[in-house]
Order: sequence, then C-alpha cells, then structure tokens
Amino acid sequence: MAATQTLDKAHTVKSRAGTNRYVRDFILNKYLYIMMVPVLAYYAIFHYAPMYGALIAFKDYSPMKGILGSDWVGLQNFHDFFGSYYFWRILKNTIIISLYSLIFEFPAPIVLALLINEVRSKAFKRVAQTITYMPYFISLVVICGIITDFTNADGIINRLFMTMGYDGQAMLQKPELFRPIYILSEIWQRIGWESIIYIAALMSIDQEQYEAARMDGASRWKQILHITLPGIMPTIAIMFILRMGNLLNVGFEKIILLYNPVTYDTADVISSFVYRKGLLEFGWSYSSAVGLFNSLINLVLLISANYISRKVNESSLW
Amino acid sequence: MHLTISTTYMEGQRMKKVLATTMAVMMMGTLIACSSQTDSKASSGDSQSSPAAATTYPIKTDKTLTYWGELNGNLTGVKTAHSEVPFFQDWQKKTGVPLKFTAPATGQAKEALNVMLASGDLPDMIEYNFQSDFPGGPEKAIKDGYILKLNDLIDKYAPNLKKYLKEHPDVDKLVKTDNGSYYAFPFIRGDEYLQVFQGPIIRKDWLDELGLPVPETIDEWTTTLRAFKEKKGAAAPLSFISKPRFFNESYNGAFLGAFGVNRNFYIENNEIKFGPAESGFKDYLNQFHQWYQEGLLDKNIATVDTKALDGGLASGATGASIGNAGGGIGKWQPLVQAKDAKANLVAAPYPVLKKGDIAKFGQKASPFDTGGMVAVTSKSKDPVLAVKLLDYGYSEEGHMFFNFGTEGVSYQMENGYPKYTDLLMKNPDKLAPAQTISMYARGSYNGPFVQDKRYAEQFFVLQTQRDAIDVWKKTEADKYGLPPLTPTPEESSEYAKIMNDINTLVDEMTLKIILGNEPVSSFDSYVAKMKSLKLDRAIEIQKAALDRFNKR
Repeated sequence: MAATQTLDKAHTVKSRAGTNRYVRDFILNKYLYIMMVPVLAYYAIFHYAPMYGALIAFKDYSPMKGILGSDWVGLQNFHDFFGSYYFWRILKNTIIISLYSLIFEFPAPIVLALLINEVRSKAFKRVAQTITYMPYFISLVVICGIITDFTNADGIINRLFMTMGYDGQAMLQKPELFRPIYILSEIWQRIGWESIIYIAALMSIDQEQYEAARMDGASRWKQILHITLPGIMPTIAIMFILRMGNLLNVGFEKIILLYNPVTYDTADVISSFVYRKGLLEFGWSYSSAVGLFNSLINLVLLISANYISRKVNESSLW
Repeated sequence: MHLTISTTYMEGQRMKKVLATTMAVMMMGTLIACSSQTDSKASSGDSQSSPAAATTYPIKTDKTLTYWGELNGNLTGVKTAHSEVPFFQDWQKKTGVPLKFTAPATGQAKEALNVMLASGDLPDMIEYNFQSDFPGGPEKAIKDGYILKLNDLIDKYAPNLKKYLKEHPDVDKLVKTDNGSYYAFPFIRGDEYLQVFQGPIIRKDWLDELGLPVPETIDEWTTTLRAFKEKKGAAAPLSFISKPRFFNESYNGAFLGAFGVNRNFYIENNEIKFGPAESGFKDYLNQFHQWYQEGLLDKNIATVDTKALDGGLASGATGASIGNAGGGIGKWQPLVQAKDAKANLVAAPYPVLKKGDIAKFGQKASPFDTGGMVAVTSKSKDPVLAVKLLDYGYSEEGHMFFNFGTEGVSYQMENGYPKYTDLLMKNPDKLAPAQTISMYARGSYNGPFVQDKRYAEQFFVLQTQRDAIDVWKKTEADKYGLPPLTPTPEESSEYAKIMNDINTLVDEMTLKIILGNEPVSSFDSYVAKMKSLKLDRAIEIQKAALDRFNKR
C-alpha cells in the first residue's frame, strides 16, 4: 500500500514539473547513471573527439602546422577525388564487392545455422561448429598466403582441375576470378563465426511450437519456413541493418594482399585507393576526404535500411 | 649570425627558440640563405680548417640522441634491433654519443615514417630516402619543417664531409637540391666499380649441357629459354620478382633496354622521354607476351615474390632471372648447388636486338646512392651534436669503421689492405658474409659514409660474382639515364599526382598485355590515356628539374 502511494506521488511530481522529473529519476537510478559514465566517456573521447580530425579533409594538412594551423582548401580534395581518373572504377568495384558479399556471404551463416540446428547428433553438431569457426582465428596475412599458394598455376586447386583435363592457370591473374575468390574465401573464413549468433537465436525458439506443428502434420521443411525463420527474423533484420552500415567498408587489407595490376580492374576499391594515397603518398587530407565520403554513404545506407526494416519488419535499431 | 648560433648552443637548451627562429629565417628565402652563405665563405674562407671545426672523437656528452631507421634486410632473422648489432654498439662508443634507436618493420619504412611525421613526434635523426621516397622530395621535407637544411651546420661542424664534397664537385652537385640545400648525410659509392651490381643471371651448367652460348640477343634468349623448358623441364624458365611492381628490377631497363626504352624517364637527343609511352615499349610487350604464351615466362609472374623466386631457382623450375651480384648470385648459388652439385650461375649481358650492340639501359647507380642517407630533424634536441656524430663516417677513422668494422675483430690490416677476418667470411655460426658484414660494418649496404671498393673485392667471394660486374657494366645507361632530380615543392605534388595515376596505368597495361588479357594493339589506346592524364606536363616538370640540375 505504501509503495503504491510513493509511486503515485512520483507520478504526480512527474506530471507537474519537467525538471523535477529528471532530478528524481536521477536520484532513483543514480547507480545506473554512474555506471553509464565510463561508456559515455569512451564514446566521447574515442569516437566523437577524433571527429574533429576530419577537419583535415577540408585543409591542406601539414603535421608541423597542426590541424588548426593548416591552410583551408575548401572542397578541393573532394573535387580531386570525384574528378580522379579512377573514381568510377573504384566506386563500382566497391559497390559490386559489397553487393556480392551481401548476396552470397550474408545468407551463408544463416543456412549453416539452420543446417546445424536440424542435425540430431550432439557430437556432430559440436564438431561441425568448431571446425567451421576455426578459420576465423587465422591471421589474414596467413589466409592470403594460403589463397595465393592454392590458386597458383601449379597450386592445389589447379592440380585438381588438371586431373579433370583443364589447363592450369594462375587464378589471381584473372580479373574475372578475383571477386569469386575474394567472396568464397570470405565465406570460408567467416561462416562458422557468424553463424554463432543465429544458433543462439535458434535456441530461444519455443520447442512447443515445433511439437504443435508436428501434431498438425507439418513437414520439417514447413517447420523451418513457418517457425524457425520467423523466429530468428528479428536477429536477421538487425544483422542486416548493421551490415548495411558497413556496406562500403570493403577492408583494404585483404584486397592489397591479393590484388595485382592485372586485377585492378575488378579489385581496386575505395579503401585500397585510400591506402595508396594516404599511407604511401602522404596524402593525409586527400585520403580523409575519401574516407569521409565513404562514411557519408554508409550513414545514408544505414538510415535507409533501418527505415525500411521498421516499416516492413517492425524490428529496427531505433 | 653564425656566431649567435654557436653560442646559443653552448649556453644550453634554454635558447633553443632563438635557434629555431634563426633557422626559420634562414629557410625563409633561399636567396637570403644563399647570399649569407657566400658571405660566410668569403669572410671565413680559411677558418674552415681552424681547430674549432675539427671534432675529436669520442665526443664528451651526456646527451642521448634518438635515431630512427630501418634495420637492414641482411640482418633479418639474425638480429631484431639496432641495439643488438655490434656495429651500432661500437658506433656509439667510437663517437661517444649515446643513441636510442627506433626501427620500423622491414619493408614498411614508408608507412611507418608517414605515421611518425603525422604524429609530430620526431627523433633527432632519420635514416630515410628523402630523395626518391619522400613525396615532394627533400625541398618539401625542409619546407614543411620536418628536417633541417644542413648547409650551415655542415659548414661549421662537419669538416670531413665538407672536405670530401669539396674534393668531389661532381658528387657535391648530386647530394644537394637545386636550391643548393644539403638535406642529409649521404651514402656515397666511392668507386665506379661499386655502381654496377645488378643484371641478368643464368644457369651456365644448363647452357653447357645444351651446347648453347650465354645469350646476348633477344633471339638467343628465346632459343635458350625454349631449350630450358623443353630439354631441362623448367616450368618457369625466366622469372623475376613482381612485388610491389611487375618486373621490379626492370626499372633500370633490363630487357626493355633492347627495345630502346626503360620504364621511367630518360634523356635522348636532349629530350626527356617516358619509356612506357614510346613505341619500343610496345615491341617489348609483344616479345614478353609471346614468351608468356609459350610458357617461357613464369606463369605466376604477376604474383612472384622473393620467396617464390628463390624457390623456383632452388627447385630448378627457373633457369634465368635478374638479380644482384651479392643478393642474387651470392644467395642463389648455394641454393641451386644444394640440388645439383654442378649447378653454376653466371651473369649474362643486358640483352640487345642485334648481336654486337650495347644495351641502351642497364643498372648503374649514381655515385650518390639515395638509400641510407641520414637527415637531422627540426625537432632535434641538439642538431650540432647530431651533425658531429654523422660526420664521423666521412673521417679516415670512420671510413674504415663503416666499411670494415673494428680492427682486430672484423678486419686485419695486411700490407695496408684491410682484410675481413674469418669471423665474417667463414662464420662459425654459418652466417653468410652478407649477414656478418652487416653485423660489424655497413660496407655491404649503405649509410652515412663513403663506400670502399675493397669491401666489394672481398664480399664477392665467387669469381662469377666478380666477373658479373664487368659483364653488366657494358651499357649506355650513363648516356641516357637521368641524374637524381628534385622537383620544386610546388611542382612536386602535381607531379606526384600525375605520375601516380600514370604508373598505375603502366602497370596495368604491361601485365594485361603480357598475360594476354588485352591485345598488343591496345598499347596505343593506353598511350592516349597517358596523354590525357597529363603525361606531357610531367615531362615538362622533369625537363625543368633537369635544367635546374644542370645549372647547379
């Protein structure tokens, strides 16, 4: 009884004066707020403060003059980038590689999770999961070394083809093969790791639903379609939105470890271009401008994906 | 003006600001700097040899200087840090200056320097190729305030280097910029014999077995490579490193020289030309495409790195390549011999089209080799001490130390000839001479000193190595090659922008045509693209830089 009274009181206080409400809320939940401080500080210091450095995209940055002391050049760096001879090519490649990985790489862990979920033997499940997520822990440099060796003219993959009567050829020297190699190795490396979250989501589906469906005579396929998939849909949607926010972030490390001038046509992306400009040619301002452009596109994509998801799916980030 | 500087130093660090301003003023206008220099020369003409200028080593100091530089590749796997290398330990003892070293990961000096410059936290000295690997060149590095213009400091505190440059005006012309600024303590190849060290290398034992001569013309190369493939079962008869750029070593014109071009700018009839845009380059592409199709060129050519090439030679898949006398023949001879006791690698001359011709291009380093130079930074705590330390390498004592190491340990004097000891040449730990010499001296690579011919005479253990130099030096590289040019800071970023795009295009064109992704006829459209990327403007900038060089 007393508790309800205080609650009522709090309610009336809230509706009476706005500021009081916040003070009260703070007093009631002060430990929660204190716990938030480190997180907020982390974001402020490591995520928001460095944004001030993005200023150099509009300057002719020289470290000796500092960020503020460098001369303004306005949109010159952006002009240079959009007018660059390779602009359309790297934009096209970035988008294509991103789309490929969205189409082929994104669903792969979902399929794996569903398959593992359908397996009855517990031991097999565990072994399969461990084996598939192992490659995730191998260093990228090693992975790329393996890929280079395997795809050589006398590499293991070519030997396989040769037994079937094909001619061996250095696959990394074929522009048309670069994207498949990139995407397939990406799937191979990440599929197990990324399926973990879906497997976790699968665990939370109520087993009674399956029983009920079985009683109604639903086949396994129908069960997947009508219970399992809808059950993990919110997870898929969130993963998809997060993915959209990174769409144009094709990492440069793997690209520069695998490409060569013959495959620039299909392999050179925004980030590898930024790497060459910024790190190898000391074009700090120029590469910041390119990076800023990249982030802007990602932000737009993220917001639109979120919007669509909210409309269609009723699950969204905010 | 000069007096002020020296006294402020002596007074201590409190007056550093005065110095900084003075230096800034001096850098402000080259005209002013130049005239003040001539003034000082005129007024203190004979005071250069005055006792004030000479430094007695070891210097007494309690300051520790910081030094940033790459650890030489020869030491990879032997030592992990400068402080563990006897040479760098002794260098501190001999000069009396304690040093703290920082080293970027081998092969990543450029990225690491970039990050360091951006941080603004600079050491006292930086060992880096400011001539060709610093975007914008040395003048820009000075203008942006990273490194000091050393003219004044060299005048006053580096009598040994000054003396050498005075005695060698041709070298002096190379080591400064168009404006006359000295920007680093240079690595100088003290003899013509040291300037040539790279060229085609071939399996002589295979040639003898097949009854073939050492190939001289492109046609003979075709015959030879074909025989290697058919009769010796070589899967990749001719191979070379293509990381980071296709056919890395061809920048100096190996094989391309037969077709009258190289892969860079060169001078012909007083005109500057860009090799990849000349018609000779098309013939070269055509030839290499044929070789590739016939399987005479490594099938993985676009991805071959050092490891792959070493492996190819060792296994007998490859019978010819391009390499150095030391790092090529010297490294590969034991590898090929391990599999085949008769195996023997020799140098082949730079290929030509017609027998008896001399190749138009080939490797020939300038006496001023741009690697290994050391600059003093604008943030240095004590530039004078740094300059005195760096000047040691050009003194008589320092010359012996840098080239041969410490007497009694790494060399013995025999009839006035410094002979490397067995510790280096027949190392008990089975290290190669290239590695051991790099432990005790810098003669086998580079640094702030004048390289001595007597190092190479001993370093090239094999007769084939010594012969190689004579075979490779027969080119016309001197006539057609450009000296190390420095663009102005203003032109340099424009030039860099143009050439970056063009070089990407050249790499793509070369590989696509050779591998057959595009027909040889597409060469002309590539040249048109180069023109649209303002190749002509780049040539103009080079021409202007050459004119300025000639006026130095």
